[in-house]
Amino acid sequence: MLSRFKYLKPHNLTEAVQYLEKEEKSFVLAGGTDLMILLRRNLINAEHIVDIKGLPEMAEFEFIDGGGLTIGASVVVNTVVDSEVVKAKYPALHQASASLASFLLRNRATVVGNICNASPGADLPPALLVYDAVVNIAGTQGMRQVPLHEFFTGVKRTVLQRGELVISVQLPDPGDGDKSIYLRQARLRGHDLATVGVASRIKPDGKVAIGICAVAPTPLRLFALEEKINERELNQETVEWAAEEIKQHIRPITDVRSSAQYRMQMASVLLKRGLSHLITKEDNHGSS
Amino acid sequence: MDHSNYQSDYKHVGQPYSRKDAQKKVTGQAQYAFDLELPGMLYGKWLLSPHARAKILSIDTSAAKALPGVKAVITGEETDILVGLYMQDKLAMAKGETRYQGEVVAAVAAVDLQTAEKAISLIKVDYEPLKPVLDVDEALDGDILVHEDINELKHVEGVFFPQKDSNIASLNKANRGDVDKALQEADIVVESEFSLPAVAHAPMETHVTIVQADPYSNRIVVWSSAQSPFALRQMLAHSFKISESDIEVNIPFVGGAFGGKAGIHLEPLATLLSKAANGAPVKLIPTREEEFNQLPTRAGMRGHIITGAKKDGKITAVKVVYDWDSGAYADYGVNVGKTAVYSGIGPYDIENAAVVSKTIYTNKVFSTAYRGFGHLETHWTIERQMDIISQRLGIDPLDLRMKNLLEPGSRTISGELISESSGSVKDCLAAVVKEIGWTGRKTEEERRKEWATGKVRGKGFAVLQKAPAMPANTSTSVIMQMTGDGRVKMMIGAIDYGQGANTTMAQIAAQELDLPIDRVEVVENLSTQTNPYDWNTVASKYTFMGGNAVIRASRDMLRQMKDIAAQVLHSTADHLAHGGGYIYHIHNPERRIAYEQLALGYQYPDGSGIGGPLISHGVYMADGLTNLDHETGQGKPALVWTFGAHAVDLEVDVETGSITILKVASAFDIGQVINEKLIYGQICGGVLQGLGSAILEGYKFSPDNRLLNPSFTDNKIPTMKDMPIEVVPIYIENPQKNGPYGARGVAEHPMISVPSAVGNAVYDALGINFHVLPLSPEAIVLGILSGKESILCTDVNCLPGCY
Repeated sequence: MLSRFKYLKPHNLTEAVQYLEKEEKSFVLAGGTDLMILLRRNLINAEHIVDIKGLPEMAEFEFIDGGGLTIGASVVVNTVVDSEVVKAKYPALHQASASLASFLLRNRATVVGNICNASPGADLPPALLVYDAVVNIAGTQGMRQVPLHEFFTGVKRTVLQRGELVISVQLPDPGDGDKSIYLRQARLRGHDLATVGVASRIKPDGKVAIGICAVAPTPLRLFALEEKINERELNQETVEWAAEEIKQHIRPITDVRSSAQYRMQMASVLLKRGLSHLITKEDNHGSS
Repeated sequence: MDHSNYQSDYKHVGQPYSRKDAQKKVTGQAQYAFDLELPGMLYGKWLLSPHARAKILSIDTSAAKALPGVKAVITGEETDILVGLYMQDKLAMAKGETRYQGEVVAAVAAVDLQTAEKAISLIKVDYEPLKPVLDVDEALDGDILVHEDINELKHVEGVFFPQKDSNIASLNKANRGDVDKALQEADIVVESEFSLPAVAHAPMETHVTIVQADPYSNRIVVWSSAQSPFALRQMLAHSFKISESDIEVNIPFVGGAFGGKAGIHLEPLATLLSKAANGAPVKLIPTREEEFNQLPTRAGMRGHIITGAKKDGKITAVKVVYDWDSGAYADYGVNVGKTAVYSGIGPYDIENAAVVSKTIYTNKVFSTAYRGFGHLETHWTIERQMDIISQRLGIDPLDLRMKNLLEPGSRTISGELISESSGSVKDCLAAVVKEIGWTGRKTEEERRKEWATGKVRGKGFAVLQKAPAMPANTSTSVIMQMTGDGRVKMMIGAIDYGQGANTTMAQIAAQELDLPIDRVEVVENLSTQTNPYDWNTVASKYTFMGGNAVIRASRDMLRQMKDIAAQVLHSTADHLAHGGGYIYHIHNPERRIAYEQLALGYQYPDGSGIGGPLISHGVYMADGLTNLDHETGQGKPALVWTFGAHAVDLEVDVETGSITILKVASAFDIGQVINEKLIYGQICGGVLQGLGSAILEGYKFSPDNRLLNPSFTDNKIPTMKDMPIEVVPIYIENPQKNGPYGARGVAEHPMISVPSAVGNAVYDALGINFHVLPLSPEAIVLGILSGKESILCTDVNCLPGCY
């Protein structure tokens, strides 16, 4: 590791954002599971590391009935995995969290870090996207909120400006009768990046939401596809149609992990399986 | 796993003792080379070539040398140290030209790792990139030579055969009968091509090395995470043109090796750095990325096979060509290629056979030994081909194999006679197919019905064989001493890097001496200064050879005790026996002396003594072996064959291509179980490693031969979660007459033929023949989507004869 950096553990948010604004080559440390790789492989030259784990705002992990779920920037993924309310209210987020990397990494990696790293193949964004997640950002000029689907601007790029820091990600309460599922394909059962990951959700009003990763430069919410699906009656036939139609809405690439053709095929299969599972579940409910 | 299923007739041999070092390892007390710190130690780092092939125009090290804390900077320009193993084809550092991306171009030693890394970043190299030799096809074209001096390269003559003006490091062959005539007379001829990529050993501990080399004398002291201390000593002496006695090699605990740490690797570079740094010890710690990129791999391989058979399933002819992509250097690759000749048609009795095996240079990271030593690769060719032949003939693959497998009276391709004592591959195959409930291949209709559910089950199996691949005069030795309180300490020449040699050797000594197992110990942390010689800790040969040496050392020690006891007991040694820690008179067991009374010599009541400290030794030489005839491949290369078979029951998700391994049944004719717990560990580990090759692993290269997956991010190996749902070990015990208690080795065998069995089961499930490993989810889906048999076959220039 070539970087030689100053380590700062700020006492409050203002100190943190002012430092980040002042020092150009500063990087935020929460879980560090992505940062350490960048440092070790000399992919970044860090002069300052700002450890945000001590900031009280970052530790928030709370669900309010009717209000929704807030996940602070220092909340680690296993906290979300273990949460009963997430399991009940946001099953896709629970499943995505439980599938991310390995147990040991989930003990360190944070949910917000998975967003800020902005990897095209990140597991959590598809699940967060289908719940209309909003990112709370602090800066020296104050706070702002950005919908997650506007947060990513490219591979490893976000809307964050110098001196800005994500405090939390916030999900509305989906209400009763909401269903969701996250399915991913990987090269093995042990920990691996997703070849493709698809979050499917059917809202209480019957409308569908779809989030996907590893098929474009950023994780995507497939609004246009959702619209087309929502014009139809949601049944198995529509699901089969959507599984074909999704191919018009994604542009996967061929890389060392997978060919574009296989990614395209998996996006189709995972969407079909996800939606089929959700509508079958509905039928079951109807008959019981 | 319930280890009580296995019953042994012996008190110690066959008992499922825990590893002797288990507690040290799980509590973190075991010290590895990685853990060692020496006073005044420096840390080394290297600059690696970013090009697969390039001319080095100039190297500017001035800024690195000027950096405070840097104690030495060296480049290939300053040294001519050759480190070839069988072929003298490799320099300790690249000189003038680089031959693979990852080759060491310059190196530094500094007071800490960060300074060393900083210094490396300051070295400027001017390269002229050259067109690389990408693969075996380009290499065989021979337009560009990876080693322009191939005609002059020194090598072990009469064993390896570099071809003039070519990229072929060695061409080995075997011939039996008249293959071409037999092919003409065959009822059917099946021609296929199979291939698999290079894969990584991925030991937990990388190739960590510390060397202290005195700049004023020839003395070199090594601490290394290496498999073969004596081979290392010999090769280091050869490289630096000094005496073996000038070199001390110390091997602490080793964090895994799998063949990748056989031979010599970073020790010459560390020696050069230590000399340049005025004799300070220099530690080299490859990162995981360097372990993938700089240090050697298992070679990629392509097997082209033509088989002739009669309608009744009798195979009359086989013709195989193996092309090994050994990368930039031959290392153990040429020996893998040689082994593929005498073991190259699998455990079959085929009257007419011809094998050609070429170890080929390309501009890729080079290859070395890897668990199985080429057998996983050759069996991928042979055992998939057997399944395809059975499809063509409409004969059950079990019946086809049973009709052609070796049995007592058969001869191998090199002319070796198989006897009752050789073990039985048929017993192994029969056991595993029974375990998975094989009733024949599924019908097209059954397949279609299952396909509709999205998941299709498949069953398949494959046989295997392997003998130690080693020089005809391989030997090993053991020194045994007794402490004053009647405990035994043994020094052996092999390294226990996980396979359990220190435990099994203690069991054999305990059995021979009739001592409790906790009174027998193999000394850990080997040093060539004190431990006796062993050729190499490789080849699954140590239970057999080391076990025989321990038996001899034990009997030597018993003889010494009896000689002294005979005087004390006023008898002769012939009238004495041993048991329970005593030497006693066979007619009157009460006339006895405890071992501890003899351990340092016997002391009479008047204080005088006779005898002396008990020290014995045992050696074992693999006598009766010969080199192979270059033209015919005839000779006696195999000390002992171990036969085996795997059967796999799996389920394929036809939409995602993911394979779930439901069950693997693995049988090996090991003659005699020495330690069931250790064998079970070998089988589980080998099966999982074999599954890695089957469905997951492989190096990927860019169009200019840069490694695209040099880390665990994209160069995956299986994890605990990827274990089959069930692994059933089956031990066949047809004793080997000259083995210790009848035992044979079984260290490498569990991974051989796992891919073949999986490939055959995938055919049963899908009706598709796959020819290229790994059978990744993607490969399966693309194979299915292609709508015809084996799209992947085209990837390896599939010939008309193959599907």
